[in-house]
Amino acid sequence: MSNLLAFLYRFRGVLVFVLLEVFSLYLYITSNAYHRAAFFNSANAYAGQVLERRMQVLDYFSLADQNRRLLAENTLLRQQLAPPDTAGREADSVALPPLPGDSLRRIRYRRTAARPRPDTLLLARRPLPARNPAYPLVPARVVSQTNANVDNYLTLNVGIADGVEPGLGIVAAGGVVGRIKAVTAHYATATTLLHSKTTVSAKLRRDGTVGSLRWPGDDPTHALLDYIPRQNRLARGDTVVTSGYNAIFPDGLFIGIVDGFRKEADKNFWTVRVRLGVDFNRLTHVYVVRMPNKAERDTVEARAGLKPTPEEVAP
Amino acid sequence: MKNLGQVVIQLVRYVLYAGVYVGLVSRLVLFEAGWCFLYLGFLLFLPLATPIVVQLLLAFGLGLTMDIFFDTNGLHAAAAVLLAFVRPWVLKLLTPRDGYDAQDSANIHQMGGQWFAVYLGLLVLVHHTAFFVLELGSFRHFGFTLTKILASFVFTSVALLIVQLLFFSQRQGRG
Repeated sequence: MSNLLAFLYRFRGVLVFVLLEVFSLYLYITSNAYHRAAFFNSANAYAGQVLERRMQVLDYFSLADQNRRLLAENTLLRQQLAPPDTAGREADSVALPPLPGDSLRRIRYRRTAARPRPDTLLLARRPLPARNPAYPLVPARVVSQTNANVDNYLTLNVGIADGVEPGLGIVAAGGVVGRIKAVTAHYATATTLLHSKTTVSAKLRRDGTVGSLRWPGDDPTHALLDYIPRQNRLARGDTVVTSGYNAIFPDGLFIGIVDGFRKEADKNFWTVRVRLGVDFNRLTHVYVVRMPNKAERDTVEARAGLKPTPEEVAP
Repeated sequence: MKNLGQVVIQLVRYVLYAGVYVGLVSRLVLFEAGWCFLYLGFLLFLPLATPIVVQLLLAFGLGLTMDIFFDTNGLHAAAAVLLAFVRPWVLKLLTPRDGYDAQDSANIHQMGGQWFAVYLGLLVLVHHTAFFVLELGSFRHFGFTLTKILASFVFTSVALLIVQLLFFSQRQGRG
């Protein structure tokens, strides 16, 4: 027994080292598992507070830049609000032909039913309902983010209290940003498009070909669009939008534009480089989107055997 | 009593290094390739006589703190624990002819520039190699990873050298 203790004591350094190293690597390797305790990430309440305080200080240094961009966005929104005089104008009543038996041949007018239009916000070049209680759009502030790592994350200052759940999509004015990964009461962490495990189902808006967008891990302004068949004709400047094939993003949200493409000798698909619409280096205000009937859609896909579990990350 | 004082000093150093790193230094990324792992200063400049188990636990704790802030889930911890494990061996490799004195610390004024350069260089290189290779999880973009390792190596080393020259006095090391 004392020999054993002496042995353990002699090699205590190696033993503790192996123990801690294996534990860290276990945490690291299993970190992409979908459901994880929210403690070991920055959605943790204490880390969230520290990062939020840091953001409050650092905000002062980028105020001019932020104001300039908000101004640009406002201009865009105002242009949306004030369309040219003739565009989108609807008559409040329509003229109907005279009744067959009317000898005076009077033209009749009928009021069109007033269609209440929901408030919308123009995000990722698509109007999304802003106040729909069934699937609210949650505005959030980026508290902390990384851009230059291989796997990049955001921390947002919204949480369960604001109706945010793991798996919801995030968009900004410029385009698709990422997905919520973990939430606590008041904070959420999200994987951005710049993450090796993130894939987004995307399509070319011109012809509707669906592919899968992923980030190869080097350049934060570009991503790759896979699975576009070689017989497709491509053009630089084609718009890439979300396909709506999974229950994360609505159909047609802007992702980026095609910047270049080439044939690989041994593949049946184009390798398409996409310039992302979101500038991840200066991301401050984002919105969490929720798809209507997401749970029901997940359930039916799980029942059909398309998804192993309802929360599985679908490409 | 002396031990208690030592513990308090190390706690203050822990908070300082972690706080400065999270609040300020982690935002400084040179050309998307060079990070400054300033918090390694806490581990590198611990007293030379610190027991190995304590060093490993401190490294794990510090690494995990960073992991919580930067959502890396054990990446910082794994690299830091490796650093703490290698440190005694580097110290043994660099033992002066007449051994270390009881009050010796990793201080550029006490141990000399050459000793310090090798000590700092070796350990930072080990840490950065482990960190960036683990982060990638493969050898795909090897050239880019190598650039990251070298750029961060230079950045971290220069920053820690500045910390030494600014905060470590001729007689006793704290910082």
